[in-house]
Amino acid sequence: MLDVLLSQLAAGLVLGGLYVLIAIGLSIIFGLLGIVNFAHGNFFALGAYFALTLVQTFGWPAAILAPLLVGVVGMVVERLLIRQLYDKEPLVSLIITFALALMIEALLRLVYGGIGQPFDQPPLFTGIFLWGPVLISKYRVMVFVLTVALLIGLWAFMQFTPFGRILRAGSRDPEMVGLLGIRLPRVLTAVFGLGCALAGVAGVLAAPIWVVTPSMAEVATMPAFVVVTIGGLGSFAGAVIAGLMVGIVTALTSQFEPQAANAVMYVFMAVILLLRPRGLLGERWERFE
Amino acid sequence: MIRTLHGRAMTRRQTLLGAVALGAAAPLGMPFIGNTAAAEPIKIGLLLAKTGDIAAQAEYLANGSYLALEERGNTIMGRPAELVWYDEPSPQGSQQNMQKLVQEAKVCAVLGGSLSSNALAEQATAAQLKIPFVCNNAAATAMNGANCNRYTFRLNTPVATQAAMFAPYLMGYGKKWYFLTAAYAFGQDIAKSFKEILSKAGGTIVGDDSVPLNTPDYSSFILKIRAAKPDMILGGVPAGDLSTFLKQWNEMGMKGKIPVCEIAIGDTDIWSVGTEAATGLYTSLWWYKNPANPPDEQKMAADYLKKYGKPAADKAWMGWLAAKSLFESIDAAKSTETDAIIKALESWKGGTAENPYSWRKGDHQLLLKNLVVEVKPKVTDKWDYFDVKGMVPKTAGELDAVFGDPVANGCKMT
Repeated sequence: MLDVLLSQLAAGLVLGGLYVLIAIGLSIIFGLLGIVNFAHGNFFALGAYFALTLVQTFGWPAAILAPLLVGVVGMVVERLLIRQLYDKEPLVSLIITFALALMIEALLRLVYGGIGQPFDQPPLFTGIFLWGPVLISKYRVMVFVLTVALLIGLWAFMQFTPFGRILRAGSRDPEMVGLLGIRLPRVLTAVFGLGCALAGVAGVLAAPIWVVTPSMAEVATMPAFVVVTIGGLGSFAGAVIAGLMVGIVTALTSQFEPQAANAVMYVFMAVILLLRPRGLLGERWERFE
Repeated sequence: MIRTLHGRAMTRRQTLLGAVALGAAAPLGMPFIGNTAAAEPIKIGLLLAKTGDIAAQAEYLANGSYLALEERGNTIMGRPAELVWYDEPSPQGSQQNMQKLVQEAKVCAVLGGSLSSNALAEQATAAQLKIPFVCNNAAATAMNGANCNRYTFRLNTPVATQAAMFAPYLMGYGKKWYFLTAAYAFGQDIAKSFKEILSKAGGTIVGDDSVPLNTPDYSSFILKIRAAKPDMILGGVPAGDLSTFLKQWNEMGMKGKIPVCEIAIGDTDIWSVGTEAATGLYTSLWWYKNPANPPDEQKMAADYLKKYGKPAADKAWMGWLAAKSLFESIDAAKSTETDAIIKALESWKGGTAENPYSWRKGDHQLLLKNLVVEVKPKVTDKWDYFDVKGMVPKTAGELDAVFGDPVANGCKMT
């Protein structure tokens, strides 16, 4: 039994890593922009589809461009749509981004059709590792390593670069940042693009192991919201911890109570919110109180 | 004084003259208006999912339905005809949309039912609204069993029948089975039917996972299967979920090590997997490359390829056949009245002498042979995945018995 549990733990960590990547962008966008982006999962799907087209046309190395393209689409969306929502009630942004989600899904269906698109793993990462009792595919190990590297890079960017400092300051007191002479609208556009690009990275990484369909956002959106809620709205570290925990809890539930594997994250969220209403690392943010 | 669109003023007299002229000209248009009433289009409802994982199959079902109408020059009984397509968002939403189709769009019959859970709900609404409902996809056994009603005709072979047809092929793999079925009507139906078969054959269940719909990650389940060392996996996960499972099955290095078997899959489920990862033995109702397809179906496949630029999936054929039988029945009935359409559907015949199709009077189930197909060992064409291993049952005379007695299946036609 121990060997299966260890393998499940490894599987849960990789799944959790993907959830973290999807959720972290959502968390950053909410933290700075105050927008509940219901279309976030659709940017994840866009990442997968852009990667599909790029890989089919230019080969695997071109997949690296997919998240960048998603980021650009995100910035255009922010400029044209999201910017109009900053002074509106949160409910309005929820409804508008929900409509955006439906529109992106419909566009993908129009361009690529409703049928799932085949997308194989890169040949370099096919095969499995058998480390003692633990079985894991090479591709998943690569996904996990890349996720960790990306999160460290993002953390360093937020901590040690001037732009990162503006982001962190802006998420607490955007007015003050504006008064210091920083053009906040540009920052907001960049942040929305960054959040979408992160979802795009998750989409690229998930495409070879999940099915690439226009509705693939469905399986990404809700876990992302759950992870952000458990971690604490706007908290980077909270999203990371919560994502990994959700992945592990899901994997272990698959072992013992498979029917509840998808629902367990909601139970987990309810328990955490009962114990810590602001989430694991959530803090009091004046602008959202 | 009244001003025209060009700003020119019209006197009251001119206005009055214009009105009189218009009134005088009106009768000239009358014959046209009369003809329009006679040529009022016949409307058929299409109730198929437009979003969600099942939408990929529904797209083919819809394409097949539209193609069946186009083949007839978009006419039924010599009158223009059109399909009105509403979504199937959920069982309750599907019932509401069926009601809208009947009461607002004034359709005379409904085609659809892409998911068992939706179709079971729609079936009840069809009886309530007294409207013919030809279900073109759902396979839940209860549809022509305990839930049957005289308004519902079901094309797909029920799960229990497909299980009985498929079982002889599975016993060759061994009798230690691992069940991986979805936690909803279709999956539960598959688990129940095959557990009965396995129990009678003296086999063993070495694992039994009922998995949620839209599971994104099967790696945990694959680890359990690997540890259980079964002779084969009996799958019951639908559409995109099967595709996800097969992709991850290959990714975890399991392809070719334990056979994967499932009934009632769609071609699109396998096309989505890709040539590297696809594997398994399945039942299917139709395969576009089956040499035994009759000429009208070969023509449909060619027309489909020409129109949509890709081969017709089994679901396209199911949409096409359900629609064709309904349109031909309305023609035969010479009426859009419910009772007349039902009577004509009960008498409708299709297919060939070797593989005939007909709606059985006792439960309105379409009787037809099923195919057993296997993914080729090496797939080289992105559409051509299957080898046809056989048609079951072997003779048309066995069809009635294989589908079981309607009353014994629990059908009390109301």
